[in-house]
Amino acid sequence: MNSSAAAPETRKVVRWSVLGYTAVSLSLASAFYAAASLIGSYTEVAKAGGAVWVFMLSMIVSMPLVTSAVKARTTAREGVHDGN
Amino acid sequence: MATTQISLPVMGMSCASCTSTVEGALRNLDGVEDVGVNLGAGHASVSYDPRQVNLERMLETLHDVGYDVPSVEASLLVGGMTCASCVAHVEKALTGLEGVTGASVNLGLGLARVSYVPGITAPGQLTRAVRDVGYEAEVQDEGASLLDREREARQEELRKQKRNLWFTLPIAALVMIGTFRDMWFFPSVVPSFLGNPYVLGLLATPVVFGPGRQFFVNSWRGLRHGVTDMNLLYATGIGAAYGIAVLNTLFPEAGFGGRGATFFESAVLLTAFIVLGRYLEAVTRGRTSEAIRKLMRLQPKTARVVRAGAEIEMPADEVLAGDVLAVRPGEQIAVDGLVLDGYSAVDESMLTGESLPVEKGAGAAVIGGTMNKTGAFRFRATKVGKDTALAQIIDLVENAQASKAPIQKLADWVAGHFILGVHILALAVFAFWFFYGYQAFFDPNSSFLLSPFTLGSIGVFGFSLLLSVTVLVISCPCAVGLATPSAIMAGSGKGAEYGVLFKNAEALETTAKLTTIVFDKTGTLTRGEPSVTDVVVADGERGSSEDEILDWAAVAERGSEHPLGEAIVRAAEERGLALRHALDFESVPGQGVAASVDGRPVLLGNRKLMESRGVDVAGVQADAERLEHEGKTAMFVAAGEPAAIAGLIAVADTLKEHSADAIARLHKMGIEVAMVTGDNRRTAAAIARQVGIDQVLAEVLPQDKAGEVAKLQAAGKKVAMVGDGVNDAPALAQADVGIAIGSGTDVAKETGSIILIREDLRDVVTAIEIGRATLRKVKQNLFWAFAYNTVSIPIGAGLLYPALNLVVSPEWAAFLMAVSSLTVTLNTLLMRRFRPSLGSGSPSLQQLPGPGARHPSITAPEGRAA
Repeated sequence: MNSSAAAPETRKVVRWSVLGYTAVSLSLASAFYAAASLIGSYTEVAKAGGAVWVFMLSMIVSMPLVTSAVKARTTAREGVHDGN
Repeated sequence: MATTQISLPVMGMSCASCTSTVEGALRNLDGVEDVGVNLGAGHASVSYDPRQVNLERMLETLHDVGYDVPSVEASLLVGGMTCASCVAHVEKALTGLEGVTGASVNLGLGLARVSYVPGITAPGQLTRAVRDVGYEAEVQDEGASLLDREREARQEELRKQKRNLWFTLPIAALVMIGTFRDMWFFPSVVPSFLGNPYVLGLLATPVVFGPGRQFFVNSWRGLRHGVTDMNLLYATGIGAAYGIAVLNTLFPEAGFGGRGATFFESAVLLTAFIVLGRYLEAVTRGRTSEAIRKLMRLQPKTARVVRAGAEIEMPADEVLAGDVLAVRPGEQIAVDGLVLDGYSAVDESMLTGESLPVEKGAGAAVIGGTMNKTGAFRFRATKVGKDTALAQIIDLVENAQASKAPIQKLADWVAGHFILGVHILALAVFAFWFFYGYQAFFDPNSSFLLSPFTLGSIGVFGFSLLLSVTVLVISCPCAVGLATPSAIMAGSGKGAEYGVLFKNAEALETTAKLTTIVFDKTGTLTRGEPSVTDVVVADGERGSSEDEILDWAAVAERGSEHPLGEAIVRAAEERGLALRHALDFESVPGQGVAASVDGRPVLLGNRKLMESRGVDVAGVQADAERLEHEGKTAMFVAAGEPAAIAGLIAVADTLKEHSADAIARLHKMGIEVAMVTGDNRRTAAAIARQVGIDQVLAEVLPQDKAGEVAKLQAAGKKVAMVGDGVNDAPALAQADVGIAIGSGTDVAKETGSIILIREDLRDVVTAIEIGRATLRKVKQNLFWAFAYNTVSIPIGAGLLYPALNLVVSPEWAAFLMAVSSLTVTLNTLLMRRFRPSLGSGSPSLQQLPGPGARHPSITAPEGRAA
């Protein structure tokens, strides 16, 4: 890999990673909100606050995991191309 | 693929979590193959493919995740530049050097200012690069030594944490007083405005966004690179406490607990405790890497080089191999070399432990870092820069400190997954208390641990968030991650202090578990050269004395190159006998010699020689058998015409001074000791008897020594092999731990995983004691770290709340976390008090063997342990 080729690859990894972990975190936060709405009688503030906290923690957990996974996948694919 | 290896000094690493951040960030770069981080020395060793990644990219990445590689500036006086093109040439030459981060040349002043990373390049290399492109160059200011720079970097880190601490602590105290304003006697002494949430908020904000800012910035940078570290835990904890406090202050009716749940004190105290922990760790961590600094302090800064008949003082790192150096009384010897002329006594105690100065004349070897005492001399540099014995030892110790012990695998795995694990746990804790725990167990009268505050009207979200944040803050991956490397660092440093160089952490750990030690005989247990042990005068040899018999034999053997002949000549010289020339010298291959000494025919040799010349040896037969039973070689001496037996001379390889003591100590430690040798059984048994070894592996061919070690291993024993020769190398490699004598061959030292710098075999005992002490410390640290987290995290998560109605406040959680991490470091520091059982004299760092043919050449391991 040379540096000129590396930049677009890196941008691609970043773009897919951001999409990935944001989607995961939003899903979990939405699931929390939905669960809180369906179970018990929570105030809107508690439900919203809880969803925000879940979103934050989910982002923290998923950011490194998703980034590494996307990067590994991209590298593997790049390896296949190189091999060809 | 061509791989380059560099060692980067990294600033800002405070704990094992930082180690994994730095390792992870660098490892994620394309082209980086291996990374080893030495927390104590503050170095990252990186193997990389220069075609894929360069130093600049690595520095950017490290900066991005919150760490810096300090660069220093050097000013070079450049002569011979005449135009702008010259400027470009010089700049290109300088920036083309690995490690140079910037160069700016001023044509008018003839000055080049160069920024470079210390350790990768040095001022000497800068001037050489400029000279190579045709210009004159010299360093304008000597600049600080590596040690000075390392000290500066450490002091800068300390200054930064101290500044943070002094800023945070008074404010934290004010916020605490303000928070407790309505308690105890405070209402009468504390003004009411201090309890106002807006005032508390105003006080807390500069702490959170001042000293606390580093945690947010670093964790964000880390996350962008797919790396999580302790900063993330801190940032989440502080951010959550501060965010809720601001919400409850500005919007008390929003339902997050109202004004009664402003956690400004939590945010501030969290920051204060973390900063306090970092400061204390910066102080204590410096002490665990003391050994390396002691070594570095021995490195000379300047040298007096003889050029065109004049003595020029220059930085020691600019000396080239082959340079002639002058040394005056009281000066430090700059590099390794051989004395050309002059005479002096050199104090080598800092290296060899030898208290008496060693005399040096022409041909003697001198070692860089030692101190000249009385005389003056000149010597030719043979090894300079990274090749000197001292530099190699420093490299060896650094490598050992950066390597990982097998026991660290579990700790590494835990530390590596800890942060994510704790965040997942925090998520689970939040969900549990939100959906079930609050409704099932919450009691408004319940309170914080060690606090008069009750939880009052805190809502379900506030309560769940509180416990979730406490879990994040109370957990301490630092203690887990620090447990093993800090002890390894202390242990390998201690080893260097007592002349035992562990090449890696695995050797240190395995040494602690050894059950059997196999010694090579010749050169290891024994001196490796024969010497005269007995002179026997035959009965009835009237007028003959021991001296006379030795004299005849020595004169007959004078000029002989046979080891036995040399031993006899040496013994005669030691007795002050004047050796003359023999006549009619005749060498009888495989039997001995015949010669005429002062007109008297003399025969010296074995039984075969005596039999062939018709000499009756019956008079000394009993003595000869006794001596041979003792493992000695008996040589018969006959004289006269016809020849009659005159006596016997016994020659044997003698034990080294401390061999027997070392074996006795090993037995006392419960270690089985064996000896392996190619000698015949009788000689081997005799040596074994003298030294106290009961297991003898005799008549073993060099190539079979490894097999003997393997047999012991197959019997379930953890075996160390101690040897010095080329023929010991396979056995040293086969053994669980190969221990090479520092004066031995380079092959042995390359193969062994431990090098004993002195020839004293009692250092084997010291090595085992250090290994055991280190492993003990590792186990204590790991136990504490795991026990702390196992107990504290469930308590932080509210496990005891249903039973006790008590929760741990985030500030107490931060305090406990800081104490836990510090406890591990302090426990490791106790190793500084370790003294080996020998207790012989003062410990000397990097004791090197004496000068001469057996000049030390310590070979660093080729790779670091993963």
